[in-house]
Amino acid sequence: MKEVSYYPGCSLHGTAREYDESCRGVSDLLGIKLSELKDWNCCGASSAHCTDKDLSIALAGRNLDIANKGGRELLVPCVACFSRLKAAEAETEKEGVPIRYALDFFSDEPVIEEIKKRLVRPLSGLKIVCYYGCLAVRPPQLTGVKEYENPQHMDKLMGAIGAEPLPWSYKTDCCGSSLMLVRTDIVKKLTGRILSMAREAEVDCIVVGCPICQANLDTRQGELASETGETYDLPIIYFTELIGLALGHRDVKKWLSRHIVDPVKVLSARGLI
Amino acid sequence: MVVGGGIAGIQASLDLAESGYYVYLVEASPAIGGVMAQLDKTFPTNDCAMCVVSPKLVEAGRHLNIEIIAYSDIVGVEGERGNFEVTVNRKTRYVDAAKCTGCGECSQVCPVNLRSSFNEGLGDRKAIYKPYPQAFPNVFTIDKGKRAPCGLTCPARINVQGYVALTGVGKYSEALSLIYENLPLPGVLGRICPHPCEGECNRGELDKPVAICDLKRFLADQVKTGIPVPGGESREERVAIAGSGPAGLAAAAFLARKGYPVTIFEALPVMGGMLYAGIPSYRLPREVLSEEIGNIQSLGVEIRTNSPVGPHFTFDDIFREGYRAVFLAVGAHKDQKLGIPGEDDSHVIPGVVFLRKVNLSENPPSPPFSKGGMGGFSDEKVDIGERVSVIGGGNVAIDAARTALRMGAKEVSIIYRRSRNEMPANAEEIEEAEEEGVKFLFLAAPTEVVAKDGNTVSLRLVRMELSEPDASGRKRPVPVPGSDFFVESNTIISAIGQTPDLSFMEGTGLSTTVRGTIKVDPLTLQTSREGVFAGGDAVTGPGIAIDAVAAGKEAAVSIDRYLRGEDLSAGRQPSIPEKSRFADIYDGQPKALRETMAMIPLEERRKTFSEVKKGFTEEEAKREALRCLNCGLCSECLQCVDVCKAEAINHQMGEEELKFHVGSIILSPGFDEYEAEKLTAYGYGRFANVVTSIQFERILSASGPFQGEVLRPSDSKHPKKIAWIQCAGSRNMTGTEGNEYCSSICCMYAIKEAIIAREHQSDVEPTIFYMDIRAHGKGFDAYYERAKEEHGVRFVRSMVSRVAERPQSKNLMITYVDAENRLQEEEFDLVVLSVGITPSKGATEIARKLGIEVDAYGFCKTDVFSPLDTSRPGIHVCGTFQSPKDIPETVAQASGAVANASAPLASVRGTMTKKKEYPPEIDVREEEPRIGVFVCHCGSNIGGVVNVPDVKEYVRSLDNVVYADESLYTCSQDTQEKIKDAIKEHNLNRVIVASCSPRTHEHLFRSTIQEAGLNKYLFEMANIRDQCSWVHMREKEKATGKAKDLVRMAVANARLIRPLDEQSISVIPRGLVIGGGVAGMTASLKLAQQGYEVFLIEKEAELGGMARNIHHTIEGGDVQAYLQDLIGQVTANPLIVVITNALIVDFSGSRGNFSTGVMVAPNMYYRKIEHGVTIVATGAEEWKPTEYLYGEDPRIVTQLELEGSIASHSEEMAQLKLKQVVMIQCVGSRNEERPYCSRVCCAEAVKNALKLKSLNPGMKIYILYRDMRTYGLLESYYTKAREEGIMFVRYDPGNKPEVKKEGKDISVSFVDDSIGERISLKPDLLVLSAATIPRENKELAALLKVPRTAEGFFLEAHMKLRPVDFATDGLYLAGTGHGPKLISETISQAMAAAARACTILSKEKMQVGGVVAVVEGERCAACLTCVRVCPYGVPAINERGEAQIDIVKCKGCGTCVAECPAMAIELMHFREAQLEAKCQALML
Repeated sequence: MKEVSYYPGCSLHGTAREYDESCRGVSDLLGIKLSELKDWNCCGASSAHCTDKDLSIALAGRNLDIANKGGRELLVPCVACFSRLKAAEAETEKEGVPIRYALDFFSDEPVIEEIKKRLVRPLSGLKIVCYYGCLAVRPPQLTGVKEYENPQHMDKLMGAIGAEPLPWSYKTDCCGSSLMLVRTDIVKKLTGRILSMAREAEVDCIVVGCPICQANLDTRQGELASETGETYDLPIIYFTELIGLALGHRDVKKWLSRHIVDPVKVLSARGLI
Repeated sequence: MVVGGGIAGIQASLDLAESGYYVYLVEASPAIGGVMAQLDKTFPTNDCAMCVVSPKLVEAGRHLNIEIIAYSDIVGVEGERGNFEVTVNRKTRYVDAAKCTGCGECSQVCPVNLRSSFNEGLGDRKAIYKPYPQAFPNVFTIDKGKRAPCGLTCPARINVQGYVALTGVGKYSEALSLIYENLPLPGVLGRICPHPCEGECNRGELDKPVAICDLKRFLADQVKTGIPVPGGESREERVAIAGSGPAGLAAAAFLARKGYPVTIFEALPVMGGMLYAGIPSYRLPREVLSEEIGNIQSLGVEIRTNSPVGPHFTFDDIFREGYRAVFLAVGAHKDQKLGIPGEDDSHVIPGVVFLRKVNLSENPPSPPFSKGGMGGFSDEKVDIGERVSVIGGGNVAIDAARTALRMGAKEVSIIYRRSRNEMPANAEEIEEAEEEGVKFLFLAAPTEVVAKDGNTVSLRLVRMELSEPDASGRKRPVPVPGSDFFVESNTIISAIGQTPDLSFMEGTGLSTTVRGTIKVDPLTLQTSREGVFAGGDAVTGPGIAIDAVAAGKEAAVSIDRYLRGEDLSAGRQPSIPEKSRFADIYDGQPKALRETMAMIPLEERRKTFSEVKKGFTEEEAKREALRCLNCGLCSECLQCVDVCKAEAINHQMGEEELKFHVGSIILSPGFDEYEAEKLTAYGYGRFANVVTSIQFERILSASGPFQGEVLRPSDSKHPKKIAWIQCAGSRNMTGTEGNEYCSSICCMYAIKEAIIAREHQSDVEPTIFYMDIRAHGKGFDAYYERAKEEHGVRFVRSMVSRVAERPQSKNLMITYVDAENRLQEEEFDLVVLSVGITPSKGATEIARKLGIEVDAYGFCKTDVFSPLDTSRPGIHVCGTFQSPKDIPETVAQASGAVANASAPLASVRGTMTKKKEYPPEIDVREEEPRIGVFVCHCGSNIGGVVNVPDVKEYVRSLDNVVYADESLYTCSQDTQEKIKDAIKEHNLNRVIVASCSPRTHEHLFRSTIQEAGLNKYLFEMANIRDQCSWVHMREKEKATGKAKDLVRMAVANARLIRPLDEQSISVIPRGLVIGGGVAGMTASLKLAQQGYEVFLIEKEAELGGMARNIHHTIEGGDVQAYLQDLIGQVTANPLIVVITNALIVDFSGSRGNFSTGVMVAPNMYYRKIEHGVTIVATGAEEWKPTEYLYGEDPRIVTQLELEGSIASHSEEMAQLKLKQVVMIQCVGSRNEERPYCSRVCCAEAVKNALKLKSLNPGMKIYILYRDMRTYGLLESYYTKAREEGIMFVRYDPGNKPEVKKEGKDISVSFVDDSIGERISLKPDLLVLSAATIPRENKELAALLKVPRTAEGFFLEAHMKLRPVDFATDGLYLAGTGHGPKLISETISQAMAAAARACTILSKEKMQVGGVVAVVEGERCAACLTCVRVCPYGVPAINERGEAQIDIVKCKGCGTCVAECPAMAIELMHFREAQLEAKCQALML
C-alpha cells in the first residue's frame, strides 16, 4: 500500500467536508494511505499572502517542514493551499518532498490505470464540463502545468471513469472567489458567465477540484436566479466524488447530500445512483 | 539552379532563362506556384492572384531553357561558385510524368479522400491528385504515407485499407477482387476471423476500430461472385494436398490460379476441415462454406473426401499416381489431455471431438459436402444432459459451451484457471456467450474427475491466485492450498488445446518438432522430404484460420517455384514497411460510432444453430467503411492503374537521385505560416470557426472549398460578424508563443480579406483587432483609408487576450480592451487569425545542408549592402527566406538575385541554352485552304461525354476539310508524329485540334506544325473539353452537338487565317541609367558586370544622391564607406561612362533600339546616346516641412538634419546634454496632400533615437506616432528602443500635437491615449519625421512617356508581378523614385532592374510582329482615338497624316481596333472577317 502525507487545510475540515471525505474514501479504495500532517496550521491563503508576505511564507513553510520530516509525497486537495505551499517552496528554495495537488495526483497515469481496473460503475451518459479554475493551472511556473490555457488532465481522468467531458472554453476562467466578500457584483458576473456557458453546453454538472470554486458556484445559483430570472440548477461536484461513485464507494450519497444544488437528482436520472 | 518554385523562384528562373542561361528549377511540392497560387486576391489592386500567377506558371512551364524538377529535395551541394555539383532527390510520384497527360481520370476513380493541403484542410482531395487545376507540371501524384497497420498485421497481407476504401464508395466487386488476391474464402473469414487487423487499427485510439472483418463479410454476401479465373498458362504438373481446411483450400486456389491441376485428399467425410468440423454453424453457416469451397472447385480443384493420407495411401502412392508435389495441411484435430485422474470417464469429452460430433451429426452435411457417405462419423450421437462444464478459456471452449446450450443443456459453465482478462477467446465471443446465459467460473482449475452415478460426474476444483506473468505474458495461476471444492455435471468438455494428429506420418521419414508438429523451413514451408511441403495448424499448432490461409498462399508460391525448378527462397525475406501511427494521420477527425451488425433475438439464438449475426445493410457498410482514417494515404487499390489509358501509373516506382552541375544557386524556398495551434488562447484547432488567414483566402477563392461563398466551417452558414486578430504569432515579446519580428504582410492581407469578404457578401461586418496598422508599401495607406471610409471595415486598436467558443452556436467570444480602457467581450461568427510567417521547414533544412548561415529567427543571414547574397559565395537568396516581405518585394528580389547569380557566368552566357530549329516555312499563301482536324478523346474526359467518332465524321463533311482523325490523347508524343505525317501526306496547310485549352496546349501544337514546315499561325484550336464536355457532363447528345458547333466555327476561322511574319530586329547591347544615386550606380554596375556598356546620367555634379545624407543604417552599416566604395567601383569600371551635370532632353525608339539626347553642363554640349534599355533611378528627397514651426527655430529639425548633426558633431551632441527630445512622426505623410506612408521614417526615428540614447543615456526621448511601422525584422529595434526607455506616445491624426513657442522654449503638447490626458513638454530638440517626396521628374516622365502616380512617383507596369518594369518594354525603374524605401531595398530593386534589362540586352535579335494591330492608312481619319486609348502609347500620326503603329511596341491587345470609329485598324490573326465567319458558322 502506498502512503502519502495529507494536508487537508481548513476548508476540507469545514465547508468542503465532502471533498475531504471523498479524497480519503477514494484513496482508500485505491490502496493509498493518507497520513494527515500532524499539527498542521493555516496555509496563509485567505489573508496572509496579501497582507504580510513573510508571514504567508512562514505559515506555509511550517507545514512543509512537517511534511519534509515525514519524507513522503504531500497530497493537497485544496488548490489555494497548494498554491501557497508551492509559493513557499519556491521562495525558500528548499528541496523537499513533492507537493501534489489532488487533481494532478489522481491524474497520474498509474493512478488512472488503477482506477480503471477497479471501475464498478462507469459513469456512462454523464455529460460534464471540467472546471479547473485559476490556481489549479496557474501560474504555470509554480504548478508545472503545460497546457495552462486549455488543460486536459481532469477531462482525461473523468473520461477514464466513463463520464463524457465536453470541450469547453471556460475551464480556467476566474470565478471571482477572491472578491467573494468585497465585490459580490463582480463575483456574480463571473460565476454567472461560467454557469450560463455550462448550461449552454447542456451538461449534467460541473466538476471541480477546488473548495472555493465549488462553494462560489454552488451557493450563488439561487441568488443569481432571483436576480436575473435565470435558473441554472447545475450541481457542482468534486472530481473525487465522481471517482468514488464510479468505484462504488458506499458513502457517495452522504457526500453528495452536503451540496446546495442537489447532485443526486441528475445522477439518478442518468441511472448512476 | 533555382530552389523553390513559388513566385520568386518562377520569376528568377524566367529572368535567367531569358538572359541566356539554362535553369533547373527545383521544387519540393508536386507543382510550382507556391503560396501565391492559394491566394484569392492580391492587395492593393484586388487582382485575382491565380489570374496573374497562372500565365507565369505556363511561361515557366513551357520555357525551353527552364527544366522544372518538381517534387524533389536538395540533398547537398559540393563545389564552389561557378562550379557546383548539386545532388537532388526526386521523390516518387508513382506516376510517370512523361506519360501522364493530366486528364484526371485516376483521381475520379480513387476511393481515398484526404484533406486537401491546397485548401488548407478545409476540403478533400483524392490520394492521387494534382494540387490545383492550373498546376504545373500538369501531372498527377500519388500521396503514399507509411503503410496502414491493418494490412501489415494481416497474416495473409490482404489490402485492407484498399477494400475498405472501395466499399466506402460502393465499389463492392472491385473490393472483393482485391480480397481475392490474398484470400479465396472472404465469406468464411469475414465471419470467423479474430481480426488481428482491428486490434492494430489506428481508429481505435480515437474511438473504436473500423469493423474490418464485418465489412469483408458484407462484401462476400453482397457480391456472389467466383474467384476470378486468370487466363494464364495451364500447367501439367499435378499437386496433391492433404486436408481441405483453410490452408489446403488456399493453397489449392492459388495453385489452380497458376494453372496447376490440384487434388485435395480429405480424411473427413466433409470438406472444410476445422471450418466444418470445428466451427459451429451459428457462426459459420454451411451454405457460406459450401459456396466458397464451390468457387475453389470451379477453378478445377478436385476434392476427395473420406480419403486420408496414411498407411493406406502413402506419399509414395501419391507420387506414384503422378503427383509432382504434396502439401500437407492436415490441421490439429487431436485434443490435449487434462492430465488429471478420472479424465477418461465417459462423461468427459474433448472439445474438438464434441464439436466434430455435433457438427457432423446435429447438422448432418448434405451434398456436395459429403459424397462418399459419413464414413462412421455420423452415427455418433451426442448426449450431454442438463449440466455441462467446459474447461478452458479459448475459442473452442466458448464454441463448445454455446453449442451445448443450443443442444438443450440447462446450465453451462466455463471453468478457467485465470481471470477474464487473460482469456484467449475473442472478447466479442465471450460477451455473446454470456448474453446467451453461459456462466463463468474463473480462477479455478480441475484436479480430479470423480464418477458419481450413471449420469453425473463430480469435478474437483481448486481455487487459483494470479502471480507474476509467465512466458506468455499472462499472469500465472497458482493454486490456493486447501481451497478445493466440487462442481457436478452431466458432461465435462475439456477444451484446453489441440495438437496435430501426425500418426499418418509414421514411417515416412518426415521430421517433426518437439512440440509434435511437422518440421518445415519457416520461409518456404518445405519439409525434410523433397517435394513435400506443409503448413497451417499441422506446422504451427492450433492457430487462427487466416494464418492457415497465409500458409496456403506461401505453399502455393513454393510449390510453383519448386515445379519450375526455381530458387525457393530468393526474395521472400519479407521487407516490412513502416506502419503509420495514429499521430501520423490524426488531424482532428471527429468521432463516429462503430456500426454493429444486428443479431437474431436472444431467445432464438439459444435454441437454434441459425447464424447469430445478420450482416451489415448497404448503408451501414458504407458508413462503417468511411470511418477508415486512410492511414496509408493511398490505399493501393489500383483502381487508378486500371483506368489510366496512358499507362502512366506505377505503384512500384522508386525515388531517384539526380546530379546537376550549375554555376550558381538561387534559394527561394519561401515561408511557412506560423503554426496557429501554438496560440492556445485563440483556440485554433479546437474551435471550428477559428481559421487562419490562408484558410480564409481559400474560403474566399472561387476555386476554394465553398466556391467562393463566405461560409464558416462549423455549420456552412454565412458568418455576419467576422473578426481578424492581427499579429497572430508575430511581434511577441514573451518568447513563448510567437516570433518577435513583424511579419510585414498581415495588416494588408487582413484589410484585403475584410474588403473582399464584404464584396462577396455585403452584410459581413468585418472588425480588425490590431496593434499598429502597417501599410508601408506603395499605395497601401490609401487602401487602408478606403477600407475604413468606403468599405466599412472596423478597426479596433487592441490585442485580443483570448477567444472562447460558445457551446451551442459555436460563435466566438473575443475579450479585448476598448479605446476607453474598458474590458469588453464581443461575440463573432467567425475569427480569422492573421498568422505570421516563419522560415519554411524546407528552407531551414536546405540552409543546414548547404551550410549557409541563418539569423536568430532562422531567416537567411544577409548583409544590409548585399541583401541577396548568402554566406556561401555563389549561393543567393530572395523572397521570404531572406526576411518577411510581400509579393512585389519578393519578385523584385528574385530578379535582383538573378543579377548576382548570373554575373560570374556572363562569359558563358548562351552556351548551354537550347534553341528550337525549324525547317524553312512552306509558302501556302496562294493555296486553297486544306484543313486537317484532330479530335481528342482526352482519355474519357471528352470521349466519355462527346461522341468523338461522330464529331470526326461530321467534320469530314465540312468544306476545305481534307483530313480528320481522332486520338486518345492528342497531346501525346506519338500523336505529334501523326500530325506531322498527316500534314505531309495530305498537304495540309491548316491544322485544327479540337481538345482542351489553348492556354496550356496551343504552344505545343504550334511547335508541331512548325516542325512540319507550316507557319505557326496556321493552327487553330476548338476547346471541346473545358467549354463543352466538362460543363455538359450529363447531356451527352447536346454536348456532341455543341462540340460540332465549336469545331465548325474553328474550321470557318481556319479558312481565313494567314501565315504571319515575324520580323527580326537587332538589339543595341548598351544600357542607359538615369540617376546616379545608390540605385542608379548599382544598376549600372550590374549591367557592366554582365559585359554591357552603360551610360550613367546624373543631374548633379557628384554621384551619390540621397545616400550622401545618410550615415548609418539601423543595423549599423556604414553608409558613407559603402557609398565611397560604390562610387569608386562605378568610376573605375571601363564599361561605365558617367556623365554628371547632365539633363535628358530628348528620347525616342523602342526596346532594343533607343536614342537619347543629353545636354551636359557647364558647357551645355549635346550628346546622343544609342542604347537598348533604359533604367530610371531618379530618386527622392526629404520634404521640407511647412508645419510645426519648422524653419523658425534652429532646435526644430528634420530626421535627416538630425542624422547629419549626429554624424558630424557627435562629440558636441553628447556634450550638449540635451535633456529632452521629442520626435513627431508622419510629418507631411499620410495626409490629404500626400496620402502615402513614407515607409522609412519610423525606422529612421528609432535609429536616431537609439543613437542619441547611446550618446547620452540620460536623455528623455518621446516619439509621437500614429502607427509604428517598424515592419519585418526592424521590429527588434523598436523593441530595443522601448527597452532603452524611449517613450512612444500615439496621437490621433484628428488631434495632432501642437507646437508653440513659449518665450524661449519650444512647447509640444499632445493627448496621451493610454491615460486620456493632455501632456505638455518643453523639449531641447524637436525632430520632425518629414515625408519622402520624389525628386522633380515630371518633364522626364513626359519625355520617356512613362506614367507616374498621383504623388509623383514612377508607376510600374504591374504592382505585383512587374515591380521594376514600366508598361513600355525596355524601360525599367528602381530606387526611391518608385517609392520610399530603405537602402537595402533600393539595392535589391536596382539589381532587379538590371537583371530585367539583361533579358533584352542578352538577345542579339528579337522577334517582333505577329499578332499586332495594322492600320489601313487610306481609311484613317487621324482622329487620334487610337492614340488616346492605347494603354502603351504606341500609335502615332505619321507624316502622311495617318495613324501608324510600331509593331515593335504593339502588344496586340486590340483596344485600338475596337475603338477606331473608321474601322481602319485590324488585329492580325483576329481579323474582322475571321470573327464574322466564326459567328456565321455558329448561326448555321
